[in-house]
Amino acid sequence: MAERADDRLVRLLGIVAYLDGAGPVPVGELARHFGVSERQVLDDVDALWVSGTPGYWPDDLIDFDADSFERGVVRLTEARGMTRPLRLGTREAVALIAALRAMRETAAVQADPERAGVVESVLRKLTDATGEAAAALDVQLAPEGDRRVVAAVTSALVAGHRLRIRYVTAADEESEREIDPVSLHTQDEHAYLLAWCHRARGRRTFRVDRILAATELDQPVEGHDVDPDVDFTPTGDAPLATITFASPARAVAEQVPVESVRNLPDGAFEVRLRVTNPVWLRQLLTERARHVLAVEPAAVAQDVREAASAALAAYAHLPADPVDGPGAGARAAG
Amino acid sequence: MPASAGSPTNPAARLLNLVIALVNTNASMTKQQIRASVAGYGDAPSPDAFERMFERDKDTLRELGIPIVTVDAGGHADEVGYRIDQDAYALPAVDLTPAELGVLALAAQFWQDKTLRTDISRALTKLRAAGAGETAMDVVAGLAPRVRPVGDAYGTLMDAISARRAVSFTYRAASTGEVRSRRVQPWRIAARRGGWYLVGFDLDRGAPRSYRLSRVEGRVRATGPRDAFEVPVDVDVDAALGSRDAGGVARLAVVPERAGALRARGTVVGSVPDARAGDGAGRDVLEVPYDVRYAMADEVVGYGDAVLVLGPPDLREAVVRRLRAAAALVLPAGSGSAEVGERG
Repeated sequence: MAERADDRLVRLLGIVAYLDGAGPVPVGELARHFGVSERQVLDDVDALWVSGTPGYWPDDLIDFDADSFERGVVRLTEARGMTRPLRLGTREAVALIAALRAMRETAAVQADPERAGVVESVLRKLTDATGEAAAALDVQLAPEGDRRVVAAVTSALVAGHRLRIRYVTAADEESEREIDPVSLHTQDEHAYLLAWCHRARGRRTFRVDRILAATELDQPVEGHDVDPDVDFTPTGDAPLATITFASPARAVAEQVPVESVRNLPDGAFEVRLRVTNPVWLRQLLTERARHVLAVEPAAVAQDVREAASAALAAYAHLPADPVDGPGAGARAAG
Repeated sequence: MPASAGSPTNPAARLLNLVIALVNTNASMTKQQIRASVAGYGDAPSPDAFERMFERDKDTLRELGIPIVTVDAGGHADEVGYRIDQDAYALPAVDLTPAELGVLALAAQFWQDKTLRTDISRALTKLRAAGAGETAMDVVAGLAPRVRPVGDAYGTLMDAISARRAVSFTYRAASTGEVRSRRVQPWRIAARRGGWYLVGFDLDRGAPRSYRLSRVEGRVRATGPRDAFEVPVDVDVDAALGSRDAGGVARLAVVPERAGALRARGTVVGSVPDARAGDGAGRDVLEVPYDVRYAMADEVVGYGDAVLVLGPPDLREAVVRRLRAAAALVLPAGSGSAEVGERG
């Protein structure tokens, strides 16, 4: 068993403190409460049973009711004074509070007053209990998208209802479809809705900021078997592209799902990625063009050059900014 | 000794017996008493091995929030006694509702790193020990907030922030690709828009700086003494990352029916003629607020000629700069489709 000694110690002490307050608890319930297997709980009780104060005579040891244990119920009869639950260490408090604070700020939590209230109250109780403010770790998740959309999505998730959405793809194509929502993945860069799409008859991932409108329907969701992993990697069928970036584009290697990264001299690096979506690749290369050193296959670069040239040509025909408005102030300043 | 305390080589059992012994001792225990009487320490083959074992166990317990205090054991002048004060380690009463436990269960899934996962699951084990009954997930059903892994540097950096120790690491500058050693007083670790950052005080530059952790090469090392500096109370992470003053309202000329994602965040305020299109055809003028200029520029160039920037000028310049580079993508210098026209 690969469990670390310190993790196990925390649980061993935790079980004693918990049982001291809870009275007799069935093994299965104790295992669920601490998120471990029943086998583990039995091992833990065995370890506790022979632990105690120096001397280690029967009266020195932590003790359980043996009859009740035979029947699968753990009843603590001697705690050897270990009845106080442990306070949170600094790093534990930091990890917990930072996660809760990031969650509190999401539109998915704010969309429902009851949900927001629960997160707020648990955060308040724990900040009281941990004492110090855990500001050393500061995480902000992506703004999910339109508040009405997020409210409809989270409400449908809780109720288990089907949604009708208007969606625009990365290629700027709009469509209307009905979906059975599975889970809302609010991440640090974007938020995604994982769902069963009735139009595509399959599992689909929708970026929430591209859901233009969402309506919760009365219809309950159907029970589809959907792989819950939203970070699935593109299938091996898609063609490969190889791109060499200069050092300043380093973030690409961590933000984009790549097959491989190879470091080159001077901080340059080469990534190989699967092109499941040519529009997406064109956007990536256009955004980062200054730092692109090589592109394979060449047709991909040609596609990027043509699209950019067309846009530059359109600027040549664009009339001067005609309307006074918020942009006008910035123009005067510039 | 009637019962062997667990398997003699089991460190968890040894730690447990040490905690029980030091909580229950009348005054304190000396090292000799610990070695002679606490189950598990008799295994140490030599005084040195015992010293190492005991020091390591003390560190482990301190990290878990169980501080061992030293007291004058009386008797011999240099005799130090050890004990654990339960009031110092006890969690204040926390009474959590089933729905609040559901929120905690969700938070337990938040981190993708092994280090942060360990930290948060240990926190949950401690909170579960404090009582609390059923967990109810309905109020957060279907939610899955996640943040990408921060990487190996996290543990060292967080411990250095807690201990207020300086760190040093090798860093690759974004602008030049130049690799250099940095000495930094760490203040905050932050995640924003898909990147992890360290914000702190650069000792060589004598000024606050931020560092993208993906640009740190090799290991981060804590250097120098503890309590070497104070973390300012009001560190403004967003200001340090330069992500606050670059916002504004974009005025965009958008081909009709296009760019639904931008339209959803903006307002159509008028139209402009499109000189290349047929009679009467024009573009909608759309105003879209944005927080970060470079992110808005990246988004706009993705639409190619369907979305053009009217203003503000700095956004327009950022977009045109990207387009010029893209129009010459990987062409040899001077072979120039980059000349394609763009006015002032």
